[in-house]
Amino acid sequence: MANVLDLRRRIRSVKNTRQITKAMKMVAAAKLRRSQERAFAARPYARMIASVLASLVRRVDIYDSDTGEAKNPLLMAREEKRVTVVVVTGDKGFAGPFNANVLKATHRFIADHTDFDIDLEIVGRKGIGVLRRSYGLSSAAEDEQQSQSRQPRTRKARVEIVGEHGGLLDKLSFEKAAELSRTLIERYASEETDAVYLVFNEFQSVISQRIVVERILPIKEIGKPDIAVATEMEREEREEMARAAQSAGVSIQAEDTRQADEEAAKFGTAQVDYIYEQSPSDLMGALLPRYIATQLYHAMLESVAAEHAARMTAMDAATNNASEMIDAYTLTMNRLRQAAITKEIIEIVSGAAAI
Amino acid sequence: MAENNSLRVRLVTPEKIFIDGTADSVSLPSSSGYLEVLYAHAPLLAELGPGEVTLHGGDVGDRQLFVAQGFVEVLPDRVTILAESAIPPRDIDVAEARQELDRGQKMWNEAGDVARHYDEANRVIREAEERIAAAGRAGKTA
Repeated sequence: MANVLDLRRRIRSVKNTRQITKAMKMVAAAKLRRSQERAFAARPYARMIASVLASLVRRVDIYDSDTGEAKNPLLMAREEKRVTVVVVTGDKGFAGPFNANVLKATHRFIADHTDFDIDLEIVGRKGIGVLRRSYGLSSAAEDEQQSQSRQPRTRKARVEIVGEHGGLLDKLSFEKAAELSRTLIERYASEETDAVYLVFNEFQSVISQRIVVERILPIKEIGKPDIAVATEMEREEREEMARAAQSAGVSIQAEDTRQADEEAAKFGTAQVDYIYEQSPSDLMGALLPRYIATQLYHAMLESVAAEHAARMTAMDAATNNASEMIDAYTLTMNRLRQAAITKEIIEIVSGAAAI
Repeated sequence: MAENNSLRVRLVTPEKIFIDGTADSVSLPSSSGYLEVLYAHAPLLAELGPGEVTLHGGDVGDRQLFVAQGFVEVLPDRVTILAESAIPPRDIDVAEARQELDRGQKMWNEAGDVARHYDEANRVIREAEERIAAAGRAGKTA
């Protein structure tokens, strides 16, 4: 058995660890609050784009009356043979099961769709690190790294990585999300890919999150997410999250956005005949890519919030574990000390009796 | 107060709501030219080009903002502007805009025979030029 000194030393080290995890938890909580605000501030724009598009769709013939095909390529569904999957992970670890969950969903998607060729577009350093181990870089992505030459792509494996975006989430701006969405749209429009899926951690509030596989291209119905798979949080996880949030002073309820949402939903939908400065189909053509970009941006914002929430919970658990460990060690240490004292007294008493 | 003939103006970007207030008139850069909106304008929906949105009067005072891409909805009593980015002209980074202009020209040269690439290049060039012009009007030179 360890002696008192050893135990004292170990308690000190665990206390230091606890201090660090506690600080990390508070930092994560502060960041969570900020990212929640950002996600909230981004909502009116997303809502307005969706509602103006929805009202345009009702007024404009999006299908060609002769061929029955959609006029805009982004609305046209093709048979899915080659799909692109955008995986949104985090840049850093120490976030509990956050990254693992997203990657698990990705692996499952790949395993479930063995008849597709899959291109991976990875956001977040953690995802890049893990997926690089299983899948190779596509020749197109290699080309881009070496030279700018654009050759027709030859596929080496069923699943290939076509793009990596590390550090994008750190200072997330709409511009960056729009850039990625432009690449995706271009690839879709030129029929390099037949559908684009998004795997990310959806964040409504601290206690309402899920891993979602959402199809963002082709657009099926505007304003309604086309969700392929969704994994809800376990009850246990949710309780842990709520506990961590409460101790860090983060509100667990989603902010009341109903009024703002309703107002935003009115954009472009008034029951009047608008004068269209550009032709409605031109407007439509300009709006659709922006709609995709907004969806992507929003998914990233939510993923960032979810990452901070996961980190906060993980660090809360770590802090609690450290406290428990300290308690246990303190108890053993006190017992040991008491045992030593008792032993000494017995020795003195029996020594005195012997005289 | 002339409450009943001022416009409710909102300028919304993906990041946040930029302006939420009233104005007597608003001038907007539609993609096919500037337009001036007063109270009781006919309902209109337009794509915005790069240029300056200017607000006159009202509770937010005279404000001028450079917007790049977006949409505007005009209703008789309300103007809602959706813009991808909004920035006061005096905050425009002219050096960056010039770089952007170079990038656009390079894109134009490399576009080959794909019409879509030309459109994209033209868009970049136009935005950069407008940006520089707006900065110039705000009394700023590189």
